[in-house]
Amino acid sequence: MELNGITIDDSFAEAFPMKGTRLIVTAHDMTWARHAAVATTGFATSVIACGCEAGIERELSPDETPDGRPGISILIFSMSGKELAKQVEKRVGQCVLTCPTTAVYAGLLEGDPIPLGKNLRFFGDGWQASKMIGGQRYWRVPVMDGEFVAQETTWVTTKAVGGGNLLLLATDTAAALHAAEVAVAAMKALPNVIMPFPGGVVRSGSKVGSKYPTLGASTNDAYCPSLREVAKKSDLSPDIGSVMEIVIDGLTDADVAAAMRAGLKAAIALGVGSGLKRIGAGNYGGKLGPFLYHLHKLVPGAAA
Amino acid sequence: MSGWKLTLKAAPRLRVDLRSVSPAAFAEFDGVAVGRHVVHHGNEAVALGDLFAIAPGVDGELRLEGDLSKLDRIGWQLAGGTIRIDGDAGDYLGAGMSAGEIVASGSAGMLAACEMSGGRLEIGGDAGDFAASALPGSMDGMRGGTLLVRGNAGQRFGDRMRRGTALVFGDAGDFVASRMVAGTIAVAGRIGAHPAYGMRRGTLLAAGPAPALPPTFVGNTVDIGVFWQLLSRDLARHGGAFAALPKRRVQRHLGDLAAGGKGELLFVA
Repeated sequence: MELNGITIDDSFAEAFPMKGTRLIVTAHDMTWARHAAVATTGFATSVIACGCEAGIERELSPDETPDGRPGISILIFSMSGKELAKQVEKRVGQCVLTCPTTAVYAGLLEGDPIPLGKNLRFFGDGWQASKMIGGQRYWRVPVMDGEFVAQETTWVTTKAVGGGNLLLLATDTAAALHAAEVAVAAMKALPNVIMPFPGGVVRSGSKVGSKYPTLGASTNDAYCPSLREVAKKSDLSPDIGSVMEIVIDGLTDADVAAAMRAGLKAAIALGVGSGLKRIGAGNYGGKLGPFLYHLHKLVPGAAA
Repeated sequence: MSGWKLTLKAAPRLRVDLRSVSPAAFAEFDGVAVGRHVVHHGNEAVALGDLFAIAPGVDGELRLEGDLSKLDRIGWQLAGGTIRIDGDAGDYLGAGMSAGEIVASGSAGMLAACEMSGGRLEIGGDAGDFAASALPGSMDGMRGGTLLVRGNAGQRFGDRMRRGTALVFGDAGDFVASRMVAGTIAVAGRIGAHPAYGMRRGTLLAAGPAPALPPTFVGNTVDIGVFWQLLSRDLARHGGAFAALPKRRVQRHLGDLAAGGKGELLFVA
């Protein structure tokens, strides 16, 4: 299939089930809310070594937050609820509790409960106080700038999906980056999804397995332009000089599909003149994940 | 499920104990069974039908009409359903209730909502002494749910209260929030002598005129704006004098220092 001169592979992205939660971080102003959110979602690109995948979902205006201050909603995903609980506790404890003026609340109110402020309260060394407000328990922990307020619990959805993706194949790095930036910007406008890699884009796409027995994943040689002429099998035609991947995690299957749809639409709109030649998707032959996103079903004009 | 409307025929001579009258139990009854249901009038057993005119009502609801100020323990340990009272209620209204809703248009006697642990109790008029408190000999008072007193509250409001939210739209008598363990009490009107006497934890909010600060409380200037927005926005849902709270500034005092000092007395400016 070709749209605006760009080839759309007859391929699909393969994604897998994850556990996810949303946290609302508020602060005195957006600057400090962002500091906390950026720190909390730092080093959270891939579950392979980070324990979770996390990102900023969007900024919240004062009338959208529980305490009437500016805030940021972040999404955190993990492979298990237990690991997610561990990551939430560590990250909120080190990056939100520590950040001036912040408060933290649950951003999902149904699913399986995990501790949010429940264990962090012990930082109060006995001076912490709990308060039931509107059926929810909050903890007030005395800190040097006043008090840190944290909702006791957040809730985890088991319907989250991780690993939706698009591969953007272009003539050179500048064109590939531009297409990726445009696609990420379109996806960021949607709720319930994050693109966990730096700037939403990953250049080190991986395949399963390696020549080294201890490694479970290694570079995706079929998509490395530097290996086109030497690798056993290359998926790149001679006009491709650079490939970028966008990975998407979402709270539901439909959210990931919507983000891929938006990214495809934005990238295709650039036209082949931009240097974007082809759009593909990463999969493992359908063996890994139960969620398959066929590009031909998601492009503009496709029957939903 | 079916509901019933009970209209008091004449004020009883002695006090009547209605603890066995619950919407859930009566929902399964027919009119004859409701009329035959035995309650105690003083130490004498009487049929409900002798005291009340009985008619079918709204599903899941028990409606009581008349001057019920001599009828005690209405909604005793209520675990679900709705009781509506058109008139005054006696002592122990909603005592020990854990769920459901009681709405009384008139006033309530003593010990209303005592040891209440859940649900919602609304008193249109005044509440007598020891509302939201503990039964004699018990360690904890109100321990959950929401109590709204549209009129004034008597003395010892929220004595030994442990959890939940209790709001007084009018004035509160002496010793409000005495020996409070935790929870939230907010008073829109004037507050009597010795507020929060022996308070261990919890919050007493004077949303109206600030009372004299008890000698065992100490002012605290820290910014509690985040907590205040969470609390005041929740209280504002109840309307009246509480509706404007989120826009007002709060002044915090810690105490009772004679009992640990982990409670707070909030004044608004």
